[in-house]
Amino acid sequence: MILILSLICIIPFLLILSGSFSSNESIVREGYHLFPTDFSLEGYKMVFKFPTQVLKAYGVTIFTTIVGTALGLFLITMAGFVLQRKDFRYRNVFSFFIYFTTLFGGGLVPWYIMLANYFNLTDTYTVLIFPGLMTPFLIILMKNFIRSAVPDELIESAKIDGANDFRIYFSVVLKLAMPGIATVGLFLALGYWNDWFTSSLFINNPDMYQLQFYLYNTMNTITFIDQMAIGTGITLSQDVPTESTKMAMAIVVTGPILFLYPFVQRYFVKGLTIGAVKG
Amino acid sequence: MRMRNKTIRHLSMVLALMLFAGVLAACNNGSGGSAQGSEQGGSSENKGEKVTLQFYMLGDAPKDLPVIESEINKLAEADLNVNVKFNYTSWTDWDQKYKLLLSSGQPIDLIFTADWTFYQSYAKKGAFLPLDELLPKAAPTLKGYVPDDMWNAVKVNDKIYTVPSTWTEYVTEGIAYREDLREKYNLPKPESLETLEAYLEGIKANEPNMIPIADSNANHTHGIRQLTSKLVNTAGQLPYGLDIMYDTPSNITSYWGSAQHLEDLKTYKRWMDKGFFPKNVLNVKDTSNSLLQNGKAAVVLSGENPNKFNADVIKVQSTHPDWKLGYFPYPNAKGFAQPVHPIHNGFAIPRSSKNPERALAFYEKLVTDKRYNWLTEYGVEGKNFEVQDGYYKMVGDAQTNGFPREGMNGWAWRNPEFMLYDKSFDDVLAIFKELDKMKKPDIYTGFAEDWTPYQAEKAALEQVEKQYLYPLNVGLVDDVEAGLNTFMEKAKQAGLEKIQSEYTKQWQDYLKSAGIQ
Repeated sequence: MILILSLICIIPFLLILSGSFSSNESIVREGYHLFPTDFSLEGYKMVFKFPTQVLKAYGVTIFTTIVGTALGLFLITMAGFVLQRKDFRYRNVFSFFIYFTTLFGGGLVPWYIMLANYFNLTDTYTVLIFPGLMTPFLIILMKNFIRSAVPDELIESAKIDGANDFRIYFSVVLKLAMPGIATVGLFLALGYWNDWFTSSLFINNPDMYQLQFYLYNTMNTITFIDQMAIGTGITLSQDVPTESTKMAMAIVVTGPILFLYPFVQRYFVKGLTIGAVKG
Repeated sequence: MRMRNKTIRHLSMVLALMLFAGVLAACNNGSGGSAQGSEQGGSSENKGEKVTLQFYMLGDAPKDLPVIESEINKLAEADLNVNVKFNYTSWTDWDQKYKLLLSSGQPIDLIFTADWTFYQSYAKKGAFLPLDELLPKAAPTLKGYVPDDMWNAVKVNDKIYTVPSTWTEYVTEGIAYREDLREKYNLPKPESLETLEAYLEGIKANEPNMIPIADSNANHTHGIRQLTSKLVNTAGQLPYGLDIMYDTPSNITSYWGSAQHLEDLKTYKRWMDKGFFPKNVLNVKDTSNSLLQNGKAAVVLSGENPNKFNADVIKVQSTHPDWKLGYFPYPNAKGFAQPVHPIHNGFAIPRSSKNPERALAFYEKLVTDKRYNWLTEYGVEGKNFEVQDGYYKMVGDAQTNGFPREGMNGWAWRNPEFMLYDKSFDDVLAIFKELDKMKKPDIYTGFAEDWTPYQAEKAALEQVEKQYLYPLNVGLVDDVEAGLNTFMEKAKQAGLEKIQSEYTKQWQDYLKSAGIQ
């Protein structure tokens, strides 16, 4: 029973896979099949026709994912650790400030103006990393997690043994909070990996596009031509990707993250349930 | 006493946070970003000091853009002592980006405008600088080069806000169909409702694996309305189900709920029952062109303007040389054709521009100086393109060439005097020539609707349309008449009458101010 259910889950993925190995014309004429009726590699050829662009986008995404996740984890665990310390007097005030942002946001335009005009972050790698570093939800999750995973007495005893706060953070908290860190880390990594919106707003230089945006943009160009060209008389001179190319791109993009999933999944389940109980 | 202590503590907290934020901002200020070119160039002949113009265009940048940019900058530095940074928004969420660019106040010197980027409403909101006084000062050549009636046509509230393109083209649509199949099965040419139906029946009977009509979901009624009515509307359909006859523009009638509407819907129902288009048409995501190009569909009713049809022909020639495509322009049925309105392609100077005069001077060069124009429209001669017998010839092919024809999407600064056409474009020009014979000015695009008075009703009506009209449009409702009545009832509840009367009022005001009878 379970086996059948699991197999059903694979079917959509198989469709994409077989679509990526079919010739475009066969997809348009006959639709998708579980196994390619007309085997061809043209989709992949198209994706890697300009391998530099795909690879560059890959590089940007990998870079932002690694740096953003590492930095973000560092900041979030620090914040979580501090906020759950009972002997930190202003923790409620700080928590309130963080929590407040989840209720009242400035909206898109002020956010854009802030990053573009005041911080001058357009076309920098910073802009791809910076906005996603601290998410209120993840901080609260981390706080609760550390509270449940690290007993106060332990911190107390470490203090008596002469450890300062940083020492406690590095040697005690980080070690005990591993499941939580894995969970939050996965959230962060997924967030950075799947991010296209920041590129879309702040990046004008095609060499700095994130992978998802590069892909999304290629697809959108087609839709645009189809819908807008009617009233505009625009015909774009570039080659437009086809159905099979789209599928090939999807495979190329999701591949790496799929392999990452099984390794962190066990932490993921555990971490989520712990974070769910409000302590 | 304790109370006060607490407040002081809280206040100091807030202060500390603010300071911290300030420090963060300061740190970030130095890192990267768009440095405005403030290097002191040799300020020759009082051109002022060197500045970098921020130029914004929609779409994706061609691969060779950096090469073109440096070439243009060489010229521009010598002529005007300016540098230009060409920025592209990409097609993803371009409308949102456009809004942000104009509302955030970041320095932009030139930006693309069109009717479909809502030029008029942005101009009304004061997003652009009025150019009336700048033009004679900064760009006298450009001022003289664009005809006066075009300047007048782009005016909003009696002020010029954009530089229109002077190249006249047509984006009127037509029926694209498979001519080879028509000959093979001896079918009539689809040039009226009856012949179209006969043609489709023939296809259905002889080619069971094909979809006779391919159209994207929302377009299904457009095709038929273009045939059955002499609509003025350049977009094929007025909003809110209104009808305006070209010859009597001040007389607005409601198409929705009319006898004509019912008849059209019945026709579509009949076509649906005959299997001319798939049952799931509302969810079809395929582009109609690709269906036609790959031989899945025989007819495309909407969106086939001369340019697009030509692209289809070229594509089919390369993949299936034995096929033939035929084309029936709707203007032939209507008896007249309207070229695009001058605001269809233009460039404006946003309010946030720091150097409006020099931006305009640069734009003048772009339009009226052949060196600039060719560089930005066709690339570097010899590297990206060649001129053969007066035609444009691409060097290499679309995959190896880093700058295809009009790769910078330079529709707005096309200059008919310098324009080079691809050999394949002759067919489009031939269609244009035919359409020129029945040319009538576009009276519709100059009108800018302001929906603030009925914003809520508009949103409600859109929902009603989706729920009740779309299924009718594609013939999914068994009892057409009852379905139409239900839709009209719901639309009235949503405030259709208020919308229509308000729209009518605005339209009449526009006719008065534009002097159209």
